[in-house]
Amino acid sequence: MADDTSAAAGTSTETGAGTGSNLRTTKPGTKRLFLTVSVLISFLLGAPFLLKSTEIHRSPLPSAAISSLSDHLHSNPPSFPCHFQAIFLSPFKPSDSSLSLSVAERIRAQLSAQSCGNCNFTVSVTVDSGSSCRDEGDAASAACLWECGGGGLVDAIEGRDDQGIDELLLSAVNERTGGCAGRVYSVFVMEGRDERVVIGKHRHAWMVLKDLDDSTSVVSMIGTVFGDYFMRGGVEKGEYIPVGSDGNVVLSFSLLNSNPSDWIYDWDFQRTGEVLLAPVLEALAPVANITMESQVLYHAPKSSISYWDEKLEAYVVNTRDLPFFVNSNEWHLDTSLSASGRSKVLQFVVYVPSASECPLYIRTPEGEMSKTNAFISPMWGGVAIWNPPGCSMQSQGIHIVRDVLPPQELEKIIEIFIGQLRLLFGLNSNYVEPSPIFKVLASEKGFTNWELDLLYRQHTCFNLLSSLSTLQSLSTLVESLPRMIVMDEIGKQVELSLEAANLAERNISLGINNASALSSIRARALAEDAFFHPSIMSISYSSMEHYFAIYMPFFAPVSLHVLLAAVKEVKRYFAERSKYLTFRASKLKSS
Amino acid sequence: MASDPKGSQLRRILLIFFSLSIILPLSSPSPTMHNNNWAVLVCTSRFWFNYRHMANTLSLYRTVKRLGIPDERIILMLADDMACNARNNYPAQVFNNENHQLNLYGDNVEVDYRGYEVTVENFLRVLTGRHEASVPRSKRLLSDEGSHILLYMTGHGGNEFLKFQDTEELQSHDLADAVKQMKEKNRFKELLIMVDTCQAATLFSQLQSPGVVAIGSSMKGENSYSHHLDPDVGVSVVDRFTFYTLAFFERLDMYSNASLNSLFTSYDPTLLMSTAYYRTDLYERPLNMVPVTNFFGSVMKTIPTDSAYPGFLVAHASEYATISAETETARVVLEDEADHSKTYDQSEKGLQHILDEWLKLLEGKLGVKDPEVLVAYGLGSMVLLLTISTWLSS
Repeated sequence: MADDTSAAAGTSTETGAGTGSNLRTTKPGTKRLFLTVSVLISFLLGAPFLLKSTEIHRSPLPSAAISSLSDHLHSNPPSFPCHFQAIFLSPFKPSDSSLSLSVAERIRAQLSAQSCGNCNFTVSVTVDSGSSCRDEGDAASAACLWECGGGGLVDAIEGRDDQGIDELLLSAVNERTGGCAGRVYSVFVMEGRDERVVIGKHRHAWMVLKDLDDSTSVVSMIGTVFGDYFMRGGVEKGEYIPVGSDGNVVLSFSLLNSNPSDWIYDWDFQRTGEVLLAPVLEALAPVANITMESQVLYHAPKSSISYWDEKLEAYVVNTRDLPFFVNSNEWHLDTSLSASGRSKVLQFVVYVPSASECPLYIRTPEGEMSKTNAFISPMWGGVAIWNPPGCSMQSQGIHIVRDVLPPQELEKIIEIFIGQLRLLFGLNSNYVEPSPIFKVLASEKGFTNWELDLLYRQHTCFNLLSSLSTLQSLSTLVESLPRMIVMDEIGKQVELSLEAANLAERNISLGINNASALSSIRARALAEDAFFHPSIMSISYSSMEHYFAIYMPFFAPVSLHVLLAAVKEVKRYFAERSKYLTFRASKLKSS
Repeated sequence: MASDPKGSQLRRILLIFFSLSIILPLSSPSPTMHNNNWAVLVCTSRFWFNYRHMANTLSLYRTVKRLGIPDERIILMLADDMACNARNNYPAQVFNNENHQLNLYGDNVEVDYRGYEVTVENFLRVLTGRHEASVPRSKRLLSDEGSHILLYMTGHGGNEFLKFQDTEELQSHDLADAVKQMKEKNRFKELLIMVDTCQAATLFSQLQSPGVVAIGSSMKGENSYSHHLDPDVGVSVVDRFTFYTLAFFERLDMYSNASLNSLFTSYDPTLLMSTAYYRTDLYERPLNMVPVTNFFGSVMKTIPTDSAYPGFLVAHASEYATISAETETARVVLEDEADHSKTYDQSEKGLQHILDEWLKLLEGKLGVKDPEVLVAYGLGSMVLLLTISTWLSS
């Protein structure tokens, strides 16, 4: 009975006239509506918290800046301002009026394909011969024009040796071109008894000619010195960049004893080599951060065959067999301690042959002995063969010779290595001298200043273009994987790399070559660090499907129920409310 | 003043010599010249019954070493659990033929990744070059834009995948992606992929990068079979595809110039019991002009040095004897001005943007900086809301 009454009471409170009619006498309750809708609202309120807590951290990359800089560099490649000036120290009467234009034309005529690092040159000509002083042509600024008054130089030059003339002209250039002394290339033309053309080791050359009548040939000679030497380094198209992507190069010097049971040689590389090579490494500092190391190896035979040549009375290796000379199985050269993952290691090997193949020479295709007994492999390094003295007579020796490589021999070998280093960097090891009149001076830094300028230009241009393309690939990669984590470190490296690239570009236009080279190395190293960051592994990012697959089982069933319940409750509430309202309306009508 | 005819002639000779001085003794090659070879040899199986996969890889390792590629340019990835396996009747020896003539594990085998280090992640890191800073140089693929790379993979595979050590898979699109990344960074000039697994040709079906030639031991739907069983060792010791590849290379040495075409056409489908399929659509050189030593051997471009740098010693001596000060103008390194024009891509639009804004508003109002704390607060308030409403409705 109690159940019936409670049930009846329940139904009566719920629907005053629920049986069949569309009326109800009491206002519908809102508790259920409130409950279900509040659950739904709490879900909706919590959704942003969920999204925020499951969001992947992507450090923003300045892709717009990267692509704009990259387009800018491709449309106008970096051009380095060079100023050439020709100074006539003796009276000269040109056949046509505009001398500087004809010189510029001559230079331009010899410009081959546009390669990276070309000069954007301006030419000026000055005739400064004591009595008169006339100049024409354009210079970057007035400060770069030659100040008159150098007529006394001709007499000062008379009778000096080449080194002395070089230093004298250097001081003259410094004095008379003021602040531009580091960015101007000069050719001095004068009359004299013994004809010669000498290119100095700084940034000037001088020509001594018997007489200056034939102005076309004089102009063409000046153009050749400027165009072929100062602007292109005397090379047709050599562009080797043997620098690691982190801007480091390790020069690894090895002394290989082929057969220690014959003789064992040691060397004092630390003292001799480091003293001789220190200026070279310092000069190349804007191109790469170079370190040196040396080792002595034993039991390191070569793997190509040599045979006895009657005519030369020595064992010879043909040029054809040189590719098989380096015996990589026995020559454990790549044991560098200081080379990190992305540095470039250049190997310089001194090979001491065994008694059974001594003396060993490289034979050129013409049948002659090689003058240097050495060869290089581009981007790898170089090998030089050194025969122990008196080795053809040593074959009867029974005791092992333990000796040290004599310092003079070591110095000669280092000279060969410097030549090889120049080849590895894309220059000539030595200039072919077509006639006894022509001469290029050597520098104790291994590279003359104008060659260093050329290297800085080439490397700056290459580094800039390479770093921009790396950054571009990185930003395309990051954009193509929208759910890959991009760490803050990568964002920072990209920013710094862009900064360094912009700085390098600005310094290029100002003509500060070594600062731009340093910035470009930094830009490239940072771009490579960002691209090769170990966290960018495409297999470890979670795709959108992965994300859904994780969270759907948690939220889909629950949210479905919540949504349905809320919808049902809202519908029921409005239905009940309309019933109540119609009841009220009918009651009002009836009363 | 009368011009001296002899002088002008001399000047003309000088002029000619000037122009001739441009001609150089050495040939200057283009930047993408082939200058070294690398080999990446991967055995993706472990366990005793996959003996033949390790024998395959080691045989190929010996071949490329014999033809001249040095250890420093070979990356060898092996599970390396055969030679000293308790079930090996010939301890510390691995054979690829039942005549036991050649011990593959004998001497000078340098394994770079062994055991559990052979994973898909490490393999992709080797290919793309994205290592941790502490990984030594011998474990890195230090190729450059002039390198030819031989990539050999063997193990168990299927349609578009390769199984790594029974726990992971390498998918064909992962491999294609890695090769694409390598090409973007110019980590190779040409790449030869050889795959010896079941349905091998499907593994390189998604490649798109130029300069790649690939050969697989079988096509989709075909299996690759082992060659023979060694009754002494108790397992199959070599696969057919690798066996016939080795037979081809037995006849060669480092001076020979057999072409890739002769290698690819030497596979007989009846002997292999599957079709060795190769794709050359991404490769521009014709196969009959490519010597196999371009990939399997070692080539070193050598240029004899004509002369040293004369005068260096003299210049050095004179420079340091007479302490002549170099009057170079000091170069000033310009400092960068504050260039804070960072433009970030506001790629987040729409719902995400609105939600972010709302969250930022909340953060501002509540004064909470850490999003974790904010989330905790949010969840707490949700629970609170629910309990209140439940209590109210009861």
